[in-house]
Amino acid sequence: MGANAEAGAMTAVPDRSVPATRKMPWSRLLADKSVRAGLGLAAFFAFWQAVTGLGLVDGFLLPSPFAVAQALWDMAVDGSLWIHLAASLQRVAVGFLLACVVGLALGLVCGWWRSVSDFVRPVVEALRPIPPLAWIPITILWFGLGDAASYFLVFLGAVFPAFVATYTAVRGLDRNQMNAALCLGAKPWQLFWDVLIPASLPIILPGLRIALGVGWMCVVTAELIAAQTGLGYLIQQSRMLFQINNVVAGMVTIGLVGFAMSAILERIERRVNAWAPSERN
Amino acid sequence: MTANAALISPAISSGLSSQFSPEDVQIDIRNVGKVYGSKTEEPVVALDGVTLRIRRGEFISLLGPSGCGKSTLLGIIAGFQSATSGQLLQDGRPITRPGPSRTVVFQDYALFGWMTVQQNVEFGLKAKGMGRAERAEIARALIAMVRLNGFEDKFPHQMSGGMKQRAAIARALAPDPDILLMDEPFGALDAQTRVLLQEEIARISSEAGKTVIFVTHGIDEAVFLADRVVVMSPRPGRVREEVLVPLPRPRTAEMRSDPWFVSTVNDLWETLKPEWQKGE
Repeated sequence: MGANAEAGAMTAVPDRSVPATRKMPWSRLLADKSVRAGLGLAAFFAFWQAVTGLGLVDGFLLPSPFAVAQALWDMAVDGSLWIHLAASLQRVAVGFLLACVVGLALGLVCGWWRSVSDFVRPVVEALRPIPPLAWIPITILWFGLGDAASYFLVFLGAVFPAFVATYTAVRGLDRNQMNAALCLGAKPWQLFWDVLIPASLPIILPGLRIALGVGWMCVVTAELIAAQTGLGYLIQQSRMLFQINNVVAGMVTIGLVGFAMSAILERIERRVNAWAPSERN
Repeated sequence: MTANAALISPAISSGLSSQFSPEDVQIDIRNVGKVYGSKTEEPVVALDGVTLRIRRGEFISLLGPSGCGKSTLLGIIAGFQSATSGQLLQDGRPITRPGPSRTVVFQDYALFGWMTVQQNVEFGLKAKGMGRAERAEIARALIAMVRLNGFEDKFPHQMSGGMKQRAAIARALAPDPDILLMDEPFGALDAQTRVLLQEEIARISSEAGKTVIFVTHGIDEAVFLADRVVVMSPRPGRVREEVLVPLPRPRTAEMRSDPWFVSTVNDLWETLKPEWQKGE
């Protein structure tokens, strides 16, 4: 809803006021969220270009944005970028889906039955602080240097945020709404699909977005050490070949893809949770 | 207590429930008690020996200050919680769990925020396994009954408090319950909206012919709506007295200036004042 309104405002403004655009476009343009976002990014790249272009930083330590763009273009043309990107995306997808299944199921069960959560939560809370990086040695021992190791590390990174969000959501359900559903004669499936799930989504979905972000970071970490393809591997490989432009190009790709994933999920959230107080204004 | 009751008026007396013939009784509350307890703290007696018989089609107001256990009693009748002692029968069968023969209207509406008004009202019909077309039709009729026509596709957050409560009333009526339980339904509304909705409830309850149990701490609201006002006293929650309301139904706005109405509301206020002051 919010996104639609925004898009509507963007197209409506120039239509209505062609002469006004000439008079005072700046303050109105600056009020637009995506214009601000664009300006912020532009300023960042300008600063980067200035630092490298003026020779303040050695080009070998940090290539200029143009050099990085050139490297990206070259890798896109020869296809290697897409191969690595696809490998990483596939790994994060599998690991994230596993994490969703386990995190959601465990979160629902623990949120619903307090006695179960008394058993499970101490285990979760003790495992949660171990960073995925610390899991790498034992992961390689268990799964070797294949895709399975990456799936497992993504899973480890994403499962805890998914669990915590689901648990918190179910825990915080409005007692009166559940009672209302029960006195209206709700069957168990109706209580689950029509009440529990939609009521929990405003908390679960942002949790899943964070989980995907963590998973994306984990896949790169895994590929740095335990893989033969993927963006992490690309960075590591390029470092060993002293192709600093490709290293930064890989980093930029990771950043942009992560940004895009988060933006897409946020759009979905806004649509699904349009009714929720957190998504209004 | 009996001294106070005698003071008020001849229409007010205690132990009225014993006068009904048994087949009239729809809800039979026998000596019900509720104790909230934990091992570490002193147990709290929320209800103590509540006995009440409610006839089919009767409109009962449960009146009392906050903390008198009236909402607890309503929750027990709904089946949301169980009594610690005593017996609770609906048409001779014990009440064990919530069900569509006793639907509830909550003070905070408890509407499903992710559903439109139409979907909210259809919820109880869907639970019955009713087909799409039929439940849409019934829901539309109920939405018209609470005068929300044109708002079928609105979400709760797009409506005012009064409109939300109308939607909640339509939703509660949809499964065609025998008994409508209302838990301080107008507590969160402004004074004007409250008066308007009181008149709506007076109209709807006569039209629908349901048994209604209406929990409130508003004396005039309790008297205006009910056939019988059950006054409760706090700590522990007990039935203190019962007031039969002789005004004809459906109730209309001008009855608020009826001399009997005015004097009964005043008398009740005088008797309840000490307890209200204590509870503050």
